[in-house]
Amino acid sequence: MTPVIPAPVPVPLPAPAWLLEFLLVFTFILHLLPMNFLLGGVVMVSVSSFLGRNDAKHREFARRAGGALPPVVAFAITLGVAPLLFLQLVYGQFFYTSSVLMAWFWLAVVLLVMLGYYGVYWYNMQQEELGRRAAWVMLTTAVIFLLVAFIFSRNMTAMLRPQDFYNEFLRGGVGVILGPLTSSGLARLLHFVVASLAMAGLGVALLSRLWRRDAPGFAAWAHRYGLRWFQAGTGVEFLVGIWFLLSLPAEVRGQFLGASTLGTLLLVAAVLLAIVALVAARLSLAVSTIAIVGTISLMAVIRHLVRVAYLQRYFDPRSLPVHGQWVVFALFAILLVAGIATVAWMLYVFFRPASAQAG
Amino acid sequence: MNYPVWEAPMLGGGLIIGIIAILHVFVSHFAVGGGLFLPVTERKAYRENNPMLLEYVRSHSKFFVLVVLVFGAVSGVGIWWSIGLVNPEATATLIHVFVWGWAIEWVFFFVEIAAAFIYYYGWDRLDAKTHLLVGWIYFGAAWASLFVINGILTFMLTPGRWLETQSFAAAFFNPGMLPSCLVRTAVSVALAGVYALVTAAAVRDVGLRTEVIQYAAKWLLVGTVVIPLGGLWYISTLPAMAREISMGAAPAVTIFAGLSIFFSALVVLFTYFGPYRNPRYFNLTFAFVIAVMALSTTGVTEWVREAVRKPYIIYDYMYANTLRTDDLNRVRQQGILKSALWVRVHEVDPKAPEKAGEEVFRVQCASCHTLNGYNSIRFAVKGWSRAMIDYQLLHLNELKGFMPPFVGTEEERRALGAWLASLSPLPSNLEIAPSEKAETRPVTSEGAPKP
Repeated sequence: MTPVIPAPVPVPLPAPAWLLEFLLVFTFILHLLPMNFLLGGVVMVSVSSFLGRNDAKHREFARRAGGALPPVVAFAITLGVAPLLFLQLVYGQFFYTSSVLMAWFWLAVVLLVMLGYYGVYWYNMQQEELGRRAAWVMLTTAVIFLLVAFIFSRNMTAMLRPQDFYNEFLRGGVGVILGPLTSSGLARLLHFVVASLAMAGLGVALLSRLWRRDAPGFAAWAHRYGLRWFQAGTGVEFLVGIWFLLSLPAEVRGQFLGASTLGTLLLVAAVLLAIVALVAARLSLAVSTIAIVGTISLMAVIRHLVRVAYLQRYFDPRSLPVHGQWVVFALFAILLVAGIATVAWMLYVFFRPASAQAG
Repeated sequence: MNYPVWEAPMLGGGLIIGIIAILHVFVSHFAVGGGLFLPVTERKAYRENNPMLLEYVRSHSKFFVLVVLVFGAVSGVGIWWSIGLVNPEATATLIHVFVWGWAIEWVFFFVEIAAAFIYYYGWDRLDAKTHLLVGWIYFGAAWASLFVINGILTFMLTPGRWLETQSFAAAFFNPGMLPSCLVRTAVSVALAGVYALVTAAAVRDVGLRTEVIQYAAKWLLVGTVVIPLGGLWYISTLPAMAREISMGAAPAVTIFAGLSIFFSALVVLFTYFGPYRNPRYFNLTFAFVIAVMALSTTGVTEWVREAVRKPYIIYDYMYANTLRTDDLNRVRQQGILKSALWVRVHEVDPKAPEKAGEEVFRVQCASCHTLNGYNSIRFAVKGWSRAMIDYQLLHLNELKGFMPPFVGTEEERRALGAWLASLSPLPSNLEIAPSEKAETRPVTSEGAPKP
């Protein structure tokens, strides 16, 4: 049966598809970093909240790392807006359809994110009042954010299966159709969650450098502790990644195993960089960080190629009419540079050592 | 037509958007106005060398962060989420026209969030001058984000020359953009006062409390004075039908428009005679009363603004049920059940037309009507005969200015009529009234109208 796919809107694209796809992938990478820190972070802080009942180091870690979470949540959300905007622009007919079919779950994301966000604040602002219950607050928050990851992962998988849309629609229940949980879908979710645990570990190792000033002993411990999560997570990630790759449909998988030179090279490079990150972890945190950010960036490109491979039978964004709005685009580019510079300046004055005394 | 329809029982998609949007508006305008309130008041504290006032600003900033950064930011994303689910076609159209506008707004949003955190965490880390500067950066970014979103929002009601030129500039600088921006800026200032009254009422020191209460009331009063001026300007840019709908043609909308003025007046009166003139008697309960009245004003006003756009979602371009004005003739010829992608019934069964009728309702009416809940269709047609229903469907847009025309074949219209009539069975609905037969052309068994 021919899949039922909505027609793209008759308004031309405001820029060539390649530029929009580039921005989609680029801004997704920007979102991935805080998103990983957040998802892995809430799990790590939950664990330490419970261990901290009998362990001073974990107690201290939960307090400090928990305190870093509110801005991380804010940036995960803020930086998530842009890729979703470009996704809707280029692949709207797939994304909206899968979203409408699971409308209640998709809408629940908003409520869950809000609850999780308040959970993070509650944990931080009332840690003493909460006492032993603080651990449960953070655990609930972690479960909430894992649920968000689950729903996101389901929708991003569902939008790649337009051939199933109409049959699911015919079975009824528009708004509550999550679709079957395939092994590929499960592998994809795990791939993201495990990566988040590893990245949060690396984030802790980086963060521990800020703690050296006032608590050098604790900072050294936190550095080692974070790296353990990073190394264990990255190790597991190799296994989950292989499972994910094997679970993909043959024609998609083939793109990364020889059928496409670009796809294959990207995957090989991503894996090599991950190995570098893993080996360098104890030697040089800077090298390790650069390597793993490289892996994540390449993986984001690979993820995009997987999407293209799934959908190429039905749709090629390059076939859409284009009417470039270049003046507004230039304004956006200028403002983006100015915006990043402004934020960089604010971070600089905030973190420069002198300001601590000046206040 | 192009997307499956998500029917939210009882509420309907429109009301879900409305609930999220009204709460968001109430907080997001505070995000802008409060963003002005913080550095202005902080500067006042420095100038007057008033450490207690500074302490108040600091505690207000904590409240600000919890309300604005979490609820404000996430509910704003929530509006986007809900419009994509309820009206994907219109959302996709807006994104095609305005993606760079949204991208620019996203930059401001990013700067705004970063500045809010640094302002909040920076009380002890930054020197006074830098801290104040970060506050101004926050306000600049927040207002700029309002400026951009406002242009996209007003476009839907007054798309202006975009309809001919399809250009971004015509779409963004549409007739309603500037007056609406003025109104929203004034609302932001007023809401800064509303929220400041809440935190001011909680101040312990009597002297400081009196001072801050009066000061916050001034913000509210100044903002509210500008709103009607901008409002009149805004109304002058509206399409004629939108003005008519709000001034008598649609009673419910007119009542809500009246309520908007009534609640605003109440807010002004309560604020003037309460916190402004008698700050000593002001307390937290009073502050919440004013906040609830302000929220009511926001609610009814935004509701009216949405309602006067009917029957369109993008004026003169796309109807509320996502049919483009350009597509009417094609859909009339093809039939709605053949044009819509997501239907389970593709043809009218003459023996049981109700099934197809319900499907026609789903794709053409369910974007505004629910079966039994908000804007209930069962209630709307209660007591109507088949002939009456068919007459209404034939002249839907002429009889009710705020509804789109029925679009589809005659057979589909009759099927819809049959289903609507089945919702509230009357003795007269059991057979088709003779007058109705005389009025419309006969239909062949194949379903095509005879010439």
